[in-house]
Amino acid sequence: MRFLILFLFPVLCWAEPAQLLRSTELKKEPATDAPTVTRLAENAAVDAGERRGGWVRVKAGAAEGWVRLLALRYGGTAQSGDSGAGQLFSVARTGSSGTQVTTGVRGLDEQMLANARPNPAELSKMSQFSSTAEAAAGFAVQGHLERKSVPEVK
Amino acid sequence: MRLLLAALLLVVAIPVQAQFNFNINKLIDSAKNVRGATREINEPEEIAIGNDLAARLLGAAPLAADPRLQRYVNLVGRWVAAQTSRPGLPWRFGVLEAPQLNAFAVPGGTIFVTRGLVERMKSEAELAGVLAHEIVHVQQKHHLKAIQKGAQTALAGDALAFALKDARSGEARDKLLALGTELYSRGLDKSDEFEADRLGVVLAARAGYDSYGLPAVLQTLQAMNAQDSSLALMFKTHPAPGERLGALGEKMQPTLDAYAAQPQLVERFAAEARSR
Repeated sequence: MRFLILFLFPVLCWAEPAQLLRSTELKKEPATDAPTVTRLAENAAVDAGERRGGWVRVKAGAAEGWVRLLALRYGGTAQSGDSGAGQLFSVARTGSSGTQVTTGVRGLDEQMLANARPNPAELSKMSQFSSTAEAAAGFAVQGHLERKSVPEVK
Repeated sequence: MRLLLAALLLVVAIPVQAQFNFNINKLIDSAKNVRGATREINEPEEIAIGNDLAARLLGAAPLAADPRLQRYVNLVGRWVAAQTSRPGLPWRFGVLEAPQLNAFAVPGGTIFVTRGLVERMKSEAELAGVLAHEIVHVQQKHHLKAIQKGAQTALAGDALAFALKDARSGEARDKLLALGTELYSRGLDKSDEFEADRLGVVLAARAGYDSYGLPAVLQTLQAMNAQDSSLALMFKTHPAPGERLGALGEKMQPTLDAYAAQPQLVERFAAEARSR
């Protein structure tokens, strides 16, 4: 069974349809100075695969290579034509997880916010789960997260 | 003018009076001393206002009944918050039991994210990116400033009537709470949202995460049907995901590239947030 999953995984990786937001160079490697395979047109449909840093591996027809993550819009073209009563029952999908979220009829919408009564008991409960700075720092170390000095961009 | 100022300061002072038993007369006296200048809301007051607002949000949707997930989100959030200019705030984080996709920042250091949004995330870096965006709202006091501005405008119209009312009735406090709650339905200025995106990317990178966490979540939102009602409030209160991604690409590409190879922690996220 595990073999089967391993075998299927690379196939599933290509299952995410995407479109190019702008005309973009398809690069042989995930780097700006890598050779250009071809130039892809704006709105070209591609199959998106693995991400490495700010780059995503894509297939565009017979061509294969890497484009900037921010040049991609995920999702097929079909969704834009979706309208009318069908939307009431429409579900949104993400290609990778395949989970479905039925359109919400309860929970946190504008109406609920406007009519909400304060719930101080729940607020006290929330504080029980809070973390100390020390515990959070320890958790960061476990995850090999290293503090970096990164300048702000205003 | 002096009356208006006193009225405004009353509004601001009420929650503090209720929470901390400050002497209200002393506050009014100090308000009179400030004269023309608008007084800054101080940190205990900010926290008190935040407590009111957080309790209200929790009245709309309770916490998700998943202690492990709640603790996990607090560890991630607290670590990101430690990289801000306000590390000493009483930071706390909560996952709301709601299918909608959204996140909220409350003055004083309380951050909410909905279960609907967490379910769409694929890594801890994505969670950290969303929390970082909200944490920036608190660091920059975006909501607090908007509430203060709203109080000024609201009081200008009926300042006199307001000032004549018994300040201890709680009416002023309710008014402030209503202003704040309304803000979560109306949204902040677009410029505040774009700033939270930019500084959020910086914060997540400082905390050691893959800098593409927040952009990845924005791409997930962009790929969804914009008419999906689980996105209604989020889309009403924020610029479109495509616009936000464009703005990040324009200004943040060097930062995004420099820290893109930092950990995403896909497995830890799966273990902690998907254990149910």
